Amino acid sequence: MNLLGLGKYPLDNRRLIGALFLTPALLYILLLVGFPFVLSIAFGFSDVTVGNTDLSYVGFRNFLNVWENDIFRQVFETTIRFTLLSQIFILIFANILAVIFTQDFTGKWFARFIFILPWATPVSLAMIGWLWMLDTKYSPIDYLLLQMGLLGRGGLLSDNRNLFWLAAPDLAQISVIFVQVWRMTPLATVILMAGLSSIPTDILDQAEVDGSRFMRTLLQIKLPLILPIMVIALLFSMITMFGDMTVVYVLTRGGPVDYTRVLGLYSFQVGIEGGNLAQGAAISLFAFPLLLAMAIFMLRTASRAEVR
Amino acid sequence: MKTWLMVGLAGVLALAISGLGSAQATYPDGTELRLLQWSHFVPRYDDWFDTYAAEWGAANNVRVTVDHVNITEIAATMAAELDAGSGHSLIEATTSPAVFIANLHDLSDINAEAAQRFGEQHGFCQRNSYLPAADKYYGFVNTQVANAGIYDIALWTEAGYPNGPASWAELLEGGRAIYENTGVPVGIGLSPEPDSEMAVRSALWSFGGSVQDENGQVVLNSPQTIAAVEYLAQLQNEAMTAEVFGWGVPSNNQALIAGDVSFILNPASAYRSLQTVDEMAAAGIGFTAALAGPAAALTGTQALTFVIPKYVEGDELAVAKQFILDHTANYSDAHYYSELYNLPCFPAMVPQMADWLDDDPFGSQPADKLAAFQTVGEWSANLGYPGYNNPATAQIYSENILPNMVARVALGELSVADAVAQAHERIEAIFAHWRGLGMISG
Repeated sequence: MNLLGLGKYPLDNRRLIGALFLTPALLYILLLVGFPFVLSIAFGFSDVTVGNTDLSYVGFRNFLNVWENDIFRQVFETTIRFTLLSQIFILIFANILAVIFTQDFTGKWFARFIFILPWATPVSLAMIGWLWMLDTKYSPIDYLLLQMGLLGRGGLLSDNRNLFWLAAPDLAQISVIFVQVWRMTPLATVILMAGLSSIPTDILDQAEVDGSRFMRTLLQIKLPLILPIMVIALLFSMITMFGDMTVVYVLTRGGPVDYTRVLGLYSFQVGIEGGNLAQGAAISLFAFPLLLAMAIFMLRTASRAEVR
Repeated sequence: MKTWLMVGLAGVLALAISGLGSAQATYPDGTELRLLQWSHFVPRYDDWFDTYAAEWGAANNVRVTVDHVNITEIAATMAAELDAGSGHSLIEATTSPAVFIANLHDLSDINAEAAQRFGEQHGFCQRNSYLPAADKYYGFVNTQVANAGIYDIALWTEAGYPNGPASWAELLEGGRAIYENTGVPVGIGLSPEPDSEMAVRSALWSFGGSVQDENGQVVLNSPQTIAAVEYLAQLQNEAMTAEVFGWGVPSNNQALIAGDVSFILNPASAYRSLQTVDEMAAAGIGFTAALAGPAAALTGTQALTFVIPKYVEGDELAVAKQFILDHTANYSDAHYYSELYNLPCFPAMVPQMADWLDDDPFGSQPADKLAAFQTVGEWSANLGYPGYNNPATAQIYSENILPNMVARVALGELSVADAVAQAHERIEAIFAHWRGLGMISG
């Protein structure tokens, strides 16, 4: 039986097979990404609240109100700063670790397993662990520093018995960036490892025959070859971080003041906890043009690097 | 032992009465009541509540289930269920649920019945269940949770205040002296979390400021507010550490148990936690009523509001309403098993309260340690004081505008005038939004 008249057997039909393989992904995107996205646009242009989901069109009022809000602008800036700073560290660490993990050494598989854990652990669970590590009173880090005489009266770092990791503005920001780097580096590393493994060995053999040393091979052969993959890793990481609210929701709830408040959290606090669903949607939609531009730019960069 | 016996007998009697009362309203087989509660800070209360609900269900031929979630998750859970149009039959909201009014049943009937059966309700409780702009009771409040001052007796005696500070001025003077001499700070949160929200409002009201007036007009930017913010920033700079900028829900308990704080604002729960781990240390803790400021002595009160979603219908609706009334009729038990943490909005329903506060059944030393709560009705105020709680006051709370306003000044990020002006501007925008939707009068 020839269902579409395009091949002897249905499974020989490439168009049918292609459509079948794509369907789950398309359904996933339509239902879990596309529908909520369209809904949030509709919400952003309406006066919907959590208590009343009737949509009345209000034009750009919500977007204007959000833009006029000083706190929003600070939150927007914080989100961009956190994302960019953490990406720099993620890129550096992921490259170093990918190179290490593609070498042969004893215990490599165990080391890889341990290393992947931060990414595999449910984020809320991991954050509860960090909440205790960085606790303002019972932080084990503070305890060690106290035992070393670096904290407490006459201590080198502070006269207090604690550094207040999540309460002092600078430390809270550093803590959030550190935890994000800790969480996202494994994924970027795994992607880069896949890239490094895919480099044809004859190229590397040729380089070795030509007398290229480790650093030259790395900088002039390996990294340029995996650049498209590196960009993809960066894109994944940036988009995940830009929209994330779990880390700050558990660790700081945006504090101290607004120093760690990011778009996702602010959107949730205004839209869900505050009941102003329309403005919450508008806040989250401000991220869209930026992420879209970033994605287009990075994918083009990757594509150009691939062509070369 | 005598107290336990008394409570037990009262409970049996109350259950019998509620059973009798519902004799004509025993429900058809299969009737359900699904309750959503927060996980209480006093575990004994949840044990009692779950048992009470099950026994109440058995007496009324109702299958009762009780789900507990973290206090910070109630609002999001409620939003999801109301939007989905299905979920729990009865929810105890921990923040103002006024925003959900369109999806909540009007409970004017049981509020009216309660007024007849249970006597006068505290005004600050009523202001968390009625929305004047809609002329509707969207909820029912029988529980208030008030923050008292909790202090380390030895430290404050040494500082010359054996009964603890009675005013905000004394708190600054004594707290600063204690911090300078011993390194032990005051612990009043200035962070994006519920206790900080209440603490900042307590100071604001006591200095004569407020977010809105009685008619729902924004009046934050005033000399009184500026004085309150200036005071709190000074208190932070001179008597507290940076820890208060990272204050969280468990911080009061942690600080008190660690013995690392001279004064906090909290209901009885932090003290009860300390009792369970160190009775000696708990004996050294004292309670004060609301601190007096230049204008008043008021403290923020969390009113817990029962609401019934509109998707609840028929027998389930009748059951939910009856449960609320019966729970209120049994409020002596609720007060007792919360270890005197839950305070009644209908004081007449807990005639033993004065005796229990004077002679704590849970082993306080001295027995009248909690006596400061005797006058709680006089110094409690709702979130929207002096007006009603409304969607704007709830959004201001969820955006943490007030504690952040103070923290900005304490950290030297903004001047007092600029911080208050910035907060006022944001609050006006929030009020304008909700006023435009007809949720606030004026």
